[in-house]
Amino acid sequence: MGMPNLFRGLSGIPVGLALLLQAGCSDLLTSTPDSGDQLDSPLEGLSATERAAFVRGDEEFARRFSPATGLGPIFNDVSCAACHSADGRGRPGNALSRIGTPDEDMLRSWGGPQIQNRAIPGALAEVVPAGVHVSVRLPPPVFAAGLIEAIPEATIIANADPDDLDGDGISGRVNWVVPPPWVPGTEPGAGPEPRVGRFGRKAQTTSILQQTVEAYLQDMGITTDFLPDENRNPLAGHAHDAADRIGDPEVPAGTVFAVVNYLRLLAPPAPGGPTAARALGEQLFAATGCAACHVPQLQTGPHPIGALAHQGVTLYSDLLLHDMGDALADHRPDGDADGREWRTTPLWGLRMIRAYLNGDAFLLHDGRARTIEEAILLHGGEAQRSRDLFAGLSPADRAALLDFVGSR
Amino acid sequence: MTPRHTASRARQTFLLALVLAATPASRVTAQADSTRPFVRGGVYDKPYQARLLGRTAIGGYAEAHARYERVDGATDEMGFVAKRFNLFTSTRVSDFVRMAAELEFEEGGEEVKLEYAAIDLRIHAALTIRGGMLLSPLGRFNLSHDSPLNEFTDRPLVSTEVLGVALSEPGFGVLGQAAIGRQGRVTWEAYLTNGFHDGLVANSAEGTRIPLGRGNIEDQNASPAVVGRLAWSPRVGMELGISGHHGAWNAFTVEGTPVDERRDLTISVLDGELSVAGIRVSGEAALARIDIPPGLAGTYASRQAGWFLDLARDFGAGLIPTAPGSLFTLKARIDAIDLDTEAVGHHVRQAGLGINFRPTSESVVKLDFVRGWRFDPFNNRSDFARLLASFATYF
Repeated sequence: MGMPNLFRGLSGIPVGLALLLQAGCSDLLTSTPDSGDQLDSPLEGLSATERAAFVRGDEEFARRFSPATGLGPIFNDVSCAACHSADGRGRPGNALSRIGTPDEDMLRSWGGPQIQNRAIPGALAEVVPAGVHVSVRLPPPVFAAGLIEAIPEATIIANADPDDLDGDGISGRVNWVVPPPWVPGTEPGAGPEPRVGRFGRKAQTTSILQQTVEAYLQDMGITTDFLPDENRNPLAGHAHDAADRIGDPEVPAGTVFAVVNYLRLLAPPAPGGPTAARALGEQLFAATGCAACHVPQLQTGPHPIGALAHQGVTLYSDLLLHDMGDALADHRPDGDADGREWRTTPLWGLRMIRAYLNGDAFLLHDGRARTIEEAILLHGGEAQRSRDLFAGLSPADRAALLDFVGSR
Repeated sequence: MTPRHTASRARQTFLLALVLAATPASRVTAQADSTRPFVRGGVYDKPYQARLLGRTAIGGYAEAHARYERVDGATDEMGFVAKRFNLFTSTRVSDFVRMAAELEFEEGGEEVKLEYAAIDLRIHAALTIRGGMLLSPLGRFNLSHDSPLNEFTDRPLVSTEVLGVALSEPGFGVLGQAAIGRQGRVTWEAYLTNGFHDGLVANSAEGTRIPLGRGNIEDQNASPAVVGRLAWSPRVGMELGISGHHGAWNAFTVEGTPVDERRDLTISVLDGELSVAGIRVSGEAALARIDIPPGLAGTYASRQAGWFLDLARDFGAGLIPTAPGSLFTLKARIDAIDLDTEAVGHHVRQAGLGINFRPTSESVVKLDFVRGWRFDPFNNRSDFARLLASFATYF
């Protein structure tokens, strides 16, 4: 039987498709990105049980809440992942507005300490009161929180020099924080006594669990077993209280622990490969004094999770508070940190920042700097000398230093 | 003027526009070709229906999938789905009254839905009154979406994620047709329905999701929505349609008491099909505007859009000697949705290729390859690919 003309004309197409499939099967069926280029990869060396916990926590981290599942009544965004782009930094659209000082009782009667700028139907969103000073804070990356948590307090304290006894002009100090009583004693960073603050822009939080529970409540309006009372707009009438119809707590402790475990087991992205320029940049990074605060590596201590125990953590931070000068001051104390102090921001992950922010880089606590150079030049206070040394470098040396920092 | 009056006026204007557009011009005659289905593959154009007691026909279709999906290099799904088992019936009660219904069992029976159950009172070819559970005439695909008819295993993204196909709602309205020349015709449908409910926001964990506002079985705001479609077909196999929905989605008034500001959902759809050089081309484009409460702005989309374009070319008719009615089809689709047109990301694009085999016109075996790119609200890209095999048949 002869082949119909129509069929004969098209017979090459399936053959071509088959060849195409054979030639580029991995591309056609998608390929796995390098885990070192991702911000949401698990640590290497986890057990199957730990990987299962990671996967469960990943789902909860990505879980988006709706009014029907407890969102609000007031909130900033609908999920953890909605603020932290691929577990990395946020962008100005996700920035949080913090208001109030301890002297002003954090302006709680006006919606402080954090303004929830969104509300579910029937509720009233908060607005920044006129004439109030606002500290704008971008969501920080969340990867490798477990490695930060596993650094012994003694290691962080060892780098502190609050009275600048060594006379180098840098006086990093610990933000001593009394953990809230609802943090279980089994969690790292818990206890009735002041502990070393290590999470948050001002190191105002001692544990991943505290950070997580407060983000659930403050950022998403989700009550938990730990903080079971809704966050309400104090300026809204009682009629608005009926908007959130979901009973409290809206998520159980198990869900919170799932997210905590996920954050604990996240790996940092890999730094870029070595080059001659980066080697020079690294030398200049030390020579200009940048490394005095952006300490290249800290060491974790013993930990029940093998992948977190006795690891070198190349975060480029001492996790201490430093006076950063007038340009960066937010004039808003947070715990023991004053209005000019900020925790040294870890530099790891800078290599991938543009990849996960649609080509942009929003640097510093409020995202005002669009380049690493701009961010460095805004440093002041204890970092003034390093900033000036950087500004005085030749263009080639400056480029090498920037290349090194940008490859972390 | 209150928002309610504005909306009421908008509805009246919309209905008037439909009626005016449908008003027969000088070349138009009221009597269209009575053998041509109102919508090809639509409610009263189902094959393989058995007749019971002379006037009631029954039938249905079934669909099964084998699915392999990868996301960013990892297998996301490799399994089997008893996708749909639908039963339908139609009855010609008299020369003036007929009734049709479709009952859908989806996902192995996890979802059971009365998709269609409406009574038609035919007064004239240009005027039939229809009431009941309607298929909303919002794009042509919603009116004709039976799996054995579709060339691809999965429905287009714009249909499932923006329009919510199959979109059926309780309502009342009119439909009709008029001939234009020897082969051409115009068809129209316009209904008042319950519209969407606030589930499109309240039940949605993914930002605004119009399909989650479906199923407004009981009116919640005493304000009917209006939905209608006007289609012009110069000849069989070629049609251009325009359709729209407008109505409040929130319960802004309860038992006469205003409890919220009225918030509307407006959807506009353009659809078309034609056949060129043996290639069937069909597609739809939709734009949705959702009036979102100010407190949700920035997280819930107020504008969504999407479109698809399907190409299909038959070949190999009768190639298999034992199945003289058999046919092969090569197919291609490009498909895109933007779930928040004001956000930098939050969109999906995909392209599909495949081949179908139809042993007879009522049954089809489909093989699809789909490659797509999903962008989260930050515009971070995730790649996905699907290999799908499916069977679908009328019975």
